[in-house]
Amino acid sequence: MQGDSFFELLTTTPWAKAMNGPEWAFPVVESLHFVGLALLVGTIAIVDLRLLGIAMRRQSAGELAADLEIWTRIGLALMLITGPLMFSADAVNYHHNPSFQFKMVCLSAALVFHFTMHRRATRPATPPFVAKFAGAVSLALWISVVAGGRMIAFV
Amino acid sequence: MNVLSALEWVESTNLSTAIREGALLYPIIGGVHLLGIALFGGMLVMTDLRLLGWAMRRRTVSEILEQFRVWKRAGFVLVVLSGLLLAWAEPLKLYRSLSFWVKMALLVSVGVHALVFRKGVYEDAKALDAGLTPRAKLAAALSLILWAGLLVTGRLIAFDA
Repeated sequence: MQGDSFFELLTTTPWAKAMNGPEWAFPVVESLHFVGLALLVGTIAIVDLRLLGIAMRRQSAGELAADLEIWTRIGLALMLITGPLMFSADAVNYHHNPSFQFKMVCLSAALVFHFTMHRRATRPATPPFVAKFAGAVSLALWISVVAGGRMIAFV
Repeated sequence: MNVLSALEWVESTNLSTAIREGALLYPIIGGVHLLGIALFGGMLVMTDLRLLGWAMRRRTVSEILEQFRVWKRAGFVLVVLSGLLLAWAEPLKLYRSLSFWVKMALLVSVGVHALVFRKGVYEDAKALDAGLTPRAKLAAALSLILWAGLLVTGRLIAFDA
């Protein structure tokens, strides 16, 4: 198809060939993607639940966010390595997969939201309703990313 | 009644057929299973990293353990229930999957781990506020390994013939 040449090229890269080589390569990278998922989304969800006021109430959202930040970043790094690796293995099909497209839109929104409004909402003087709103939006965005990811294999 | 005919009966139930053959039910339940891992796996990992002394060191061990406990339990129930539904949909396939049996063995180990380390670690978190013990660190390391093993074998089930 027109416009697919970049994605076709991706599938011929050495790392794509490695992903399509041994049988264990894809499941191993996918498992690492899930470890990254738990770190990235798991640590953000902890802050979200605090922003909503329903978990970890013995410390402030700001304290929690500061303590978890490094682990969120490790999770993000793991996702940004394993995700593109899996994408390269079958780039043309993923590129046309509506669930994948949905996931990428939600992921972009979730990341932008995380590094702007979400981060600001963890500051001490945030009004409660703003904190709750940020926590709810963040949770909804990340849940959409995970749901979109799960659906890729089914459409 | 032998095992295989019992599993064949499971697969013939309406619930099993509905999950297996419906367009949306299987991915939705799979999504809930994955969301359980995403939302509560982080708490499990952070609890273990705190017990190892690698994360959230500004907070005492008991604060972390006590505050995560109810959420980790809820997450565990969510993952197990959605997992049971997924298993109910295709028991014969799982019966023949080596990865599934390794995963079940790991799940039993999780139960043993909980029993072994309840005393001295999870039920005695206050005592750990004074200092982390080798026993607590061992519990955390084993917990992380078991959890990673469950993730990998769970994923591998989809790749078994």
